[in-house]
Order: sequence, then structure tokens, then C-alpha cells
Amino acid sequence: MLNSVQEYHYPGSLEEASELHDREGRSFFIAGGTALALSDSSRPVELIDISRLELDELRVEESCNRIRIGATTRIQDIVEDERVNPFLGGFLSDSLEEIGSYPIRNAGTLGGSLVRPFPWSDVIPILAVLDADISYYHEGDTASRSLAKLYESEFRPTLNDSIITGIEIDLSGEGETAATFSKFNRSEFDVAALNLACRLTLDGQKISRARLAVGSRPMTGQRVEEVEEALLGEKLTAETAAKAGEFAGAKTPVRGDNKISGEYRKTLVEKMTEDAIRKIRNEVANEN
Amino acid sequence: MKISLTINGVKKHYEVEPGEILLDLLRRKGYKSVKEGCKTGDCGACMVLVDGRAMTSCTLFAAQVDGREVTTIEGLDDKLSAELKDSFLEAGAVQCGFCIPGVLISAYSLLLDNPNPGEEEIKAALDGNLCRCTGYVKQIEAIKETANSIEGECDG
Repeated sequence: MLNSVQEYHYPGSLEEASELHDREGRSFFIAGGTALALSDSSRPVELIDISRLELDELRVEESCNRIRIGATTRIQDIVEDERVNPFLGGFLSDSLEEIGSYPIRNAGTLGGSLVRPFPWSDVIPILAVLDADISYYHEGDTASRSLAKLYESEFRPTLNDSIITGIEIDLSGEGETAATFSKFNRSEFDVAALNLACRLTLDGQKISRARLAVGSRPMTGQRVEEVEEALLGEKLTAETAAKAGEFAGAKTPVRGDNKISGEYRKTLVEKMTEDAIRKIRNEVANEN
Repeated sequence: MKISLTINGVKKHYEVEPGEILLDLLRRKGYKSVKEGCKTGDCGACMVLVDGRAMTSCTLFAAQVDGREVTTIEGLDDKLSAELKDSFLEAGAVQCGFCIPGVLISAYSLLLDNPNPGEEEIKAALDGNLCRCTGYVKQIEAIKETANSIEGECDG
């Protein structure tokens, strides 16, 4: 990439940025740039800097149940924002703080973490269990779509030619809900060999909504809907956690790679799912 | 292409290639404190402040900092940075010295933002800096000592 950047643009508007974008894959939008600067592609490209388009507003509403995060908001700014800290008992702040390192989070943006779906991305499972929506600018219009659909094949071409403008999370009216995030990496500086996020909503003693997302499988993160459906109506017990873990291990597609074997990954899914549900159970018990 | 930025308080105008990395530009222009360690954003030897934020200059294009303020340790000449440097020397926190510019930048940034950090906060601020020599213990001590000595005074 270092020798192949032909031009660097500073558009003054979304419209201008969109017009500069080449549909043949020869241009990229850049905000934090941490991924692009490390890219080793030698294909001639142009960079379109969207970091100055004021897409970094962070809004928290509805007693901290609704959050809108501008796409070029630095990840560390979200981590440190006192308005975000109370959200889901610190889930969003704490889990985003697991990403990379402090200087990388100072430069990297939330939108930038989504536009190029690295399989090891921690952001995708975190936002997937929050039922996040992605807003994007495409050919003069702004649209919004569920992040869960983001990586489906029919959406990728649209997103490639769009500018992500924001991420919306709305948990207002959901009732008692708690979430956890965990990741397994072989060293502090390595990307995750597996990451997992889980969110459960309770109606009385029973699980009324379940979200489980697993990433770095080594494939990109996605929700495991079979496990989510199996959890509905179940009580939040240690037995439920164990059963869910076993089911998740069986139902989550994983493979081996140069980090760990497929069998090890499967075991990690099982244990990390069980741990996640136990943690949520403990958290709910402590609050009550 | 031409970019204009402020480095250590001085406005600079440079001709750069669109794909030139900030680390390379800074070293080309004589800011040799900014070291090339890994060039993958992992080691922190190239740490600089961009508009007051600690960032690895090897993961930034020079063009990204057009109009911004960049600070290297060559530009740190206030009371805080002097105390920090003294503390590092007295604590024995410097061995080969290669990581130190980057560590000082991270430490300086931390103390500007949080003049009285706890140990966990210091470790968090240094989590982008690798040191193969010291084991970090003396560096953490030096930062704590600086925080104690300045007692909340920061003239950044």
C-alpha cells in the first residue's frame, strides 16, 4: 500500500466524498487509517479522508438505553465517555477497551472497524448482540440496516461503495438485560483466536431474548441463532449455561487455522458460552 | 502533495507522497526520537502525540495529519516533561533506551490527562509500548514518582 497510493483527497462533504469514490475498487475511505496503513496491497489506489466530515458525534438518550455513535468516533473516546459507561453495566465501554491497544484505539474509529470485516474483529460480535443498526450514505441517500445483515452477500457490494455514517443502538423498553464479552488470544498483542459476546434479557426468571455472537472462528463474527432460540424461555441457571455451552459448541461453525485447531475452537466456544451465561447470571443476581 | 502541520509548536510545510507514512516523514525531517521498531503498530517505539492523543506514527499516513499538531519528545520542554525524564533516569527505567521516547510520550500524555494515576491506569496507558529490557517495573515507578513530585501541577 505504501507505494501504491496515487492520490489523497480531503472532501468537504459526504456528497463530494461519494463522488470521488471509484466503483472499481481503486479508492478507499479513510478515517483512523490503522488498517489501511498496514495493508500490503500493491494495487494503485486513492484515499478519501472522511475524518473531517464531522461524523464523530456521540449521543446518548433515553436514560442511557439509546446510543448513536458517529462512524468516525475514536474507539477510545467511546471507552472514556462517561455517558456510555453506565450502558448495560459498562458492557460497551469495557468490551471496546479490549480492542487493540491504547494508541490504536486513539486512532481507530468504530465505523472503520466495520467497513473492512476482519475475521478477528472484536467490534462485530459486540455490536451484533446489541442489535446495532448501521447508517450509511449511498448515492445521495442515507439508509440504515441491521448490522446482522451487514455481511450477507447482497449487502457487501452496497457497503463497499457507501460511507458508514453512524451506528445506532436502541435497547429502550427491553427490560432487565445484561451482556458480556470475552476473547481468547495466545498473547496480549495478538488478535483474538476466538471472541464471543452474549446478551440476555429476562422476563421474571426466564430468558425472553437471547443474543450470542461468535467471531474469529476464524471466520467473521456472526450470531448463532439456533442457540439463541434454544435459550428462549429457559431459566437463568448453571444448568442452562452448561447446556447452552454444549449446544453452541455443536452448532457454531468453526475451523482450524495457524493459531488453534478447529477442535480447540469448538471447545472454546462451548466453555466461553457457558462462562458468559454464568457471568450474566451472577451479574443479575448481584443487582437483585 | 503538500501538507501543513505543526510539529512541536512550529508550523511546517512539507511535500509528501500520498502514501507516505508519518513515521517516515518525521524521521526524514530529522525527528530521530521517533523510532522504527515494528512498523505494525505493536511496539510503540514510534509513538507521537497527534492533537494531544498518543498514536503510533507507523499506522498513520502523513497526509492524515495535515492541519494537525504533532508532538515528539524533541518538543517536550515543560516542567512535567523535565520531571518525567529525571524520574526515568533516577529510577533506572532506561536500559538500551530504544523504547524510551515512545514510553515518555505515552507517560506524558497520561499525566496531562490524569495527574494522579493509579498503577492500573499507568499500565493501561503503556499498553501500546513494548520494552524488552526493563520489565516495565521501573518505568511504572518513575511515572508514579513524577505524579507525586508534580502534585497535580501540569503546565503542558
